[in-house]
Amino acid sequence: MTMKCFRCGAVLDKGNICPACGADVSTYKKIISFSNKFYNDALEKANVRDMTGAINSLRESLKLDKNNIDARNLLGLIYFETGEAVAALSEWVISKNLKAEDNLADYYMDMVRNSPAQLDNINQTIKKFNIALNYCHQDGLDLAVIQLKKVLSLNPGFIKAHLLLALLYLNSGNWDRAKIECQKALKLDSGNVMAKRYLKEADSMLLPGESGKLVSDIASSDSEDVIRYNSGNEMIIQPVKKSPLTKTTSIWGIVLGAILGVAAACFLILPQRIQSINSTNQSKIAQISEESDSKSAQINDYEQQIKSLQSQIADLESRVTDYEGVDSTSAAMNSLMNATNIYLTDSSDIDGMAAALEKLDLNVISDDVSTEFTTLYDTLMSLVGTKLATSYYNTGYDAYKAEDYETAIANLAKAYQYDNSNVNTLYYLGNSYYQSGDLDNAKTTYDAVITNFPDTQSASSAQTKLAEINNSGN
Amino acid sequence: MINFEEELKKFRPSLEIEDAEDIIYNQDLDDMSDVLIKLLKNAKADGQDNQKR
Repeated sequence: MTMKCFRCGAVLDKGNICPACGADVSTYKKIISFSNKFYNDALEKANVRDMTGAINSLRESLKLDKNNIDARNLLGLIYFETGEAVAALSEWVISKNLKAEDNLADYYMDMVRNSPAQLDNINQTIKKFNIALNYCHQDGLDLAVIQLKKVLSLNPGFIKAHLLLALLYLNSGNWDRAKIECQKALKLDSGNVMAKRYLKEADSMLLPGESGKLVSDIASSDSEDVIRYNSGNEMIIQPVKKSPLTKTTSIWGIVLGAILGVAAACFLILPQRIQSINSTNQSKIAQISEESDSKSAQINDYEQQIKSLQSQIADLESRVTDYEGVDSTSAAMNSLMNATNIYLTDSSDIDGMAAALEKLDLNVISDDVSTEFTTLYDTLMSLVGTKLATSYYNTGYDAYKAEDYETAIANLAKAYQYDNSNVNTLYYLGNSYYQSGDLDNAKTTYDAVITNFPDTQSASSAQTKLAEINNSGN
Repeated sequence: MINFEEELKKFRPSLEIEDAEDIIYNQDLDDMSDVLIKLLKNAKADGQDNQKR
């Protein structure tokens, strides 16, 4: 590396006087020598990853000689390695300005420039770190931790992020985690004073383990007494406990297993069982429903049959009635012919004719008999009706007097049937009804007396009787 | 015992790409040689002033 005069810029030789301007360059040469010594010192420190020491030496070197291009380029490289990409680029740009030709800074800048994704990644990392720092100042420490974890996932070599995360862990009492972050930082920069201080703090806060070692030391060792596994960026260290409560723990484990078994039965077996029962029940319900439908159809059939049978019964009943009518009509005809025969044989045999006509009631069979029958009946009545009526009246009146009202009613009714012109027959019939307690028929009969035989003594008497019945009813 | 607040003050925001230009222009690049030259200039100026008096 050639040395140039600080006054005129001419290339110096081994002497202490500038060959061009004659200036004394001995002091200047000593300064350059010191600068180079600092550079060499920085180089040695960088080789053992003492980045802090290397940065300090390089800064001293550049204070002595700003034109020490190697020192400036190395400073940029170390900045880049520790995650300070912008500071690195600044040093390389200055280096390029101080020495435009044959400068290693060109290579470094091209390396960054030709990888826009990496540059963007660096920029994002820096921004996220600044956001995390801002969270710290605003007491958003949890958010800061999350943000720093993102930063370190993007750039694991960002020492400042490791240190800030370690500080946050120390503040929250996560000594193990703080120690791990400090160790990572020291792995990247073995001379980092801050990392050492935080590590010391973490170690002092960690409680010694059973073997007298720190928990963090046990974690970092290959001891089989701990279980280590990674969760994301974090290493989880779980000590294997060997407490005297092992038996109790086992019992609890059995109980827990039993509970889990029951829970599994409830959540895995029972649902299937319930489902199978439900399906069985549904099939049964479907079967019962089908049977019910068939029963309903049968019931409908039976109802139809009942209706049909009822109509048949009604038809048969009407036929029976017709036949009964025929019988009664036939009996009436026989009675009339018998009575006629008696009259023709012996016209004075009133009792015989009365006996023959006893069961003949023209009012009942009037619709079923022929005109000839009616004519014969009327003819016979014109011949013997009055006599029959008198016979019945006498019998009925005697019974009335004897207070045999049932006989009186039967005979007086017959008497009125054969001769409806006798007011006494009707009046005594009414009296018989009245005396026997049949007030409805008594009233009807008295009404007939008043209507059919007005202005008679019997009518006025019937009127009085009717008034008595009405008064007694009120 | 570490004081969190005091330690937090030691952390400065990282320089972002947008700040690079300002950093480069504002960086003090004077080295020992520049200091010596200034000292010599000042010494020479003082000598000339003394001669004039």
